[in-house]
Amino acid sequence: MSESISESRSETPLLELDNIGKYYGNIIALTGVTTEVRAGEVTCVLGDNGAGKSTFIKILAGVHQHDEGTFKLEGDEVSFDSPRDALNRGIAAVYQDLAMVPLMSVWRNFFLGAEPRKGVWPLTWIDKGTAKRTAKEEMAKMGIDIRDTEQPVGTLSGGERQSVAIARAVYFGAKVLILDEPTSALGVKQSGVVLRYIVEAAKRGLGVIFITHNPAHAYPVGDRFLILNRGHSMGNFAKDEVSQSELTQLMAGGAELEQLQHELAAATGG
Amino acid sequence: MSDVSTVDASEQEARQSPSAVADGDERLAYRGVFTRLLVRPEIGATIAAMAIWVFFWAVSVPFGLASGAASVLDVASTLGIMAVAVSMLMIGGEFDLSSGAATGALGMITLLLVRDFTGEMGGAGFSLWIALPISFAFAIGLGWFNGTMVNRTSLPSFIVTLASFFILKGAKLGFSKLLVDQIQVGKMDDLALNADTRGGDKGYAFFQRLFAGEWVRNEHVWSGRDLLYTVATLAGICLIVLAVYEFRFARRQQMNAGGVIPFILGLAGLVAGQLYLHNTDDTTGNWIGSAIIAFSILLTGFGLALWRYEPLADRGSFNLDPSWLKWFGAGVAALVLSVIAARALDADNSDNIYLLFTEQGIRAILFISLAAAGAVMLLMAANIAGRSSQLMRSALLFDAAVATALMAFFIRSQSASPKFRSEVFSVMLVIAAVMVTWAAVTYIFRERREPDAQADAFAQRVLLVGMLSVIVGVGTRLLFTVQNEIDNGISRTVFSVRTLWFILFAAVCTWVLGRTPFGSWVFAVGGNKDAARQIGVPAGRTKTQLFMLVSVAAWLVGTLLAFRLNTIQASTGDGEEFEYIIAAVVGGTALTGGYGSTLGAAIGAVIMAMSFQGIPASRWNSDWRFVFLGVILLVAVIANNFIRSKAEASR
Repeated sequence: MSESISESRSETPLLELDNIGKYYGNIIALTGVTTEVRAGEVTCVLGDNGAGKSTFIKILAGVHQHDEGTFKLEGDEVSFDSPRDALNRGIAAVYQDLAMVPLMSVWRNFFLGAEPRKGVWPLTWIDKGTAKRTAKEEMAKMGIDIRDTEQPVGTLSGGERQSVAIARAVYFGAKVLILDEPTSALGVKQSGVVLRYIVEAAKRGLGVIFITHNPAHAYPVGDRFLILNRGHSMGNFAKDEVSQSELTQLMAGGAELEQLQHELAAATGG
Repeated sequence: MSDVSTVDASEQEARQSPSAVADGDERLAYRGVFTRLLVRPEIGATIAAMAIWVFFWAVSVPFGLASGAASVLDVASTLGIMAVAVSMLMIGGEFDLSSGAATGALGMITLLLVRDFTGEMGGAGFSLWIALPISFAFAIGLGWFNGTMVNRTSLPSFIVTLASFFILKGAKLGFSKLLVDQIQVGKMDDLALNADTRGGDKGYAFFQRLFAGEWVRNEHVWSGRDLLYTVATLAGICLIVLAVYEFRFARRQQMNAGGVIPFILGLAGLVAGQLYLHNTDDTTGNWIGSAIIAFSILLTGFGLALWRYEPLADRGSFNLDPSWLKWFGAGVAALVLSVIAARALDADNSDNIYLLFTEQGIRAILFISLAAAGAVMLLMAANIAGRSSQLMRSALLFDAAVATALMAFFIRSQSASPKFRSEVFSVMLVIAAVMVTWAAVTYIFRERREPDAQADAFAQRVLLVGMLSVIVGVGTRLLFTVQNEIDNGISRTVFSVRTLWFILFAAVCTWVLGRTPFGSWVFAVGGNKDAARQIGVPAGRTKTQLFMLVSVAAWLVGTLLAFRLNTIQASTGDGEEFEYIIAAVVGGTALTGGYGSTLGAAIGAVIMAMSFQGIPASRWNSDWRFVFLGVILLVAVIANNFIRSKAEASR
């Protein structure tokens, strides 16, 4: 075992989920979910509304604890007490609406809650120069040139805002990045921008979990696909095992979609 | 993963469009210095403060005198300490309606603690060294209570602190009646009066100096005052001008040393003209002095620009475009109308000019508003014409300067008041000279349309030093007097130490808000509490600390009041919480939280103090101050919203 550690490290997935389940009282929110997240790869979680995607993220991000199955982080079995706990272990979640404070400047948002400090306790203040420079540099690494880091985040486009949140998570040492529907409120162009940053983040060695209900967004960037429907896992595929149209089928629950097509055909025909 | 059509399509689309993030730089137009200034939340309040000061200066006697400044600052201090704290709380997204009542309550607690209940000041009651920390602890407790209630119940702070307000209001009445059988508690100076029987004054002398110390201007005669005032103010103005140039014009690759000579000559002329004016009393002397100063302004500005800045290549051509012509026509018409109005109404009517609704008053209002509208329209014409041709902008600016100078002479010929005949007259001539200089230098030198971080940083520092220099100059003049003024029998002017508290408190809060992690958290919990919490900001704790800050400010104000008034009424402070909120809002703080400025709140407090002092000083019934207050509030909110949306759209 010990001789293969250096080898197996790159082989050990960052996150390994095996038959994860979650109950709210007698409601089965999630059951039998199995997937893995590897460094440098994008794992897409697909599902329609009510499929259990948000329960899934909340387990990963430490908001909820799972009730069954095993949850391994870099080979160790874990269960987080709080979002802070998950963040400290390197799992950062970027929520669509909760990512940014719109009226605050880019650099303040970037370092919010973890401001670089100067001075001696108790008299400490923000090292503004470092903060502004670092924010600019980190954004540049993601391919976004923010000339004026003093501008309020609210003046950025939706895609750029998501990108600031992604760059922030990357900078603060996240190993696993969870993106909750980052493209759902965006137009085609902006979605493209965000998808590019997702690939960029994966290239920099992060494991990315990309939650979406849009197979067209997921398929081009994903390496692995987990499909959820009504709390159940509909499958966990590597990219070469599945096509985009199959993904769409599975997401909507296959048979149901066929049923719907028949009904629509009947309705328009009749 | 790039072999898929969807992303390629969207990527291509993104590349073709100029809004691709990778090329983000080009789509940001260069924002000029004035646009960037407008982004500051306190800029509206600063302009309003200047306008209101000019207004009251024109219509009342004390404004512009040291005594007027002293009384405005005195009122502004207690109001401002609270407004600054309240603005921080509002930026954090909460209100504190108990803050007004808390000032009285906390002052009353101190008074009750030092009061002797057993008899004729026989020795009971606490020393101030103990009483003040206890009331301070009460303040912390009150803030903690408000904050914790708001956090725990998730009720709007409006309701929670409204409850606190009534509790405090009732407790103040109840306890004062119960304990001293009066609706007021006193007296602080009993401590000093009964020092013999009580075995010492129990800290009164020390704390009296700390909280109610006074600086009597008439007792501080300093013959060097005018020299320091002149030098510091002039140097400050020159530095501000330099900063404006650095912001506005493109620097030369290589400096042109030839410009240094007219620049230095101009500076020397400014000092010489100023000294000449100070040492002369006759009309011809004033003329010569003013002429020297006006010429020196031109020379300095020209020399500076020649020395440092790049000449303009394309100056445009002469045109008569209707887009500016209509504004120009309207402006000229307004100016002509203002002159007609001033001439038509009786100049010799001896009614008091300071009373509104007399012929003189109507004449003054008509004249000032028409003339101001005319000036604004002329400047707009210059601005519109300048978009296509710098030549036309400079020409129209020159016209506006000529109009200003003509109006200055008209005012001088028409007005009976020495204030208008001399002071307004010379200020208007200086404005005309500044406009001519600006017309000339903008015609000659190229406006910077590209960012230059180095020049901006330099200009910012120069601007700061310049403003500090002006403040030092004006402050010296306010704080010291000269023998000549004493001999002429000037009124006694007293500055209170509370103004120092105000400045200190505002400075500390501004630093905390702008430069510390806590300041960032305040903006974050007010702007998007859930996002802040999710990222790891202790949202609840931050809010509780803000409530504590407000009640500590209330403790400070209560203590200042207790030492000033000697007794605290049960109703002291009740209802003033709205004045604090108004001051904060006037200063640019958003009612919705997440946006604002402590500096703006401080300026807002000064604006309100000016209206409280200016209305009686103008000999209007002081009941009108509430009308004035309402109008200021409405105008400020609309203006701040407008400025904010304008500034954010232009980014």
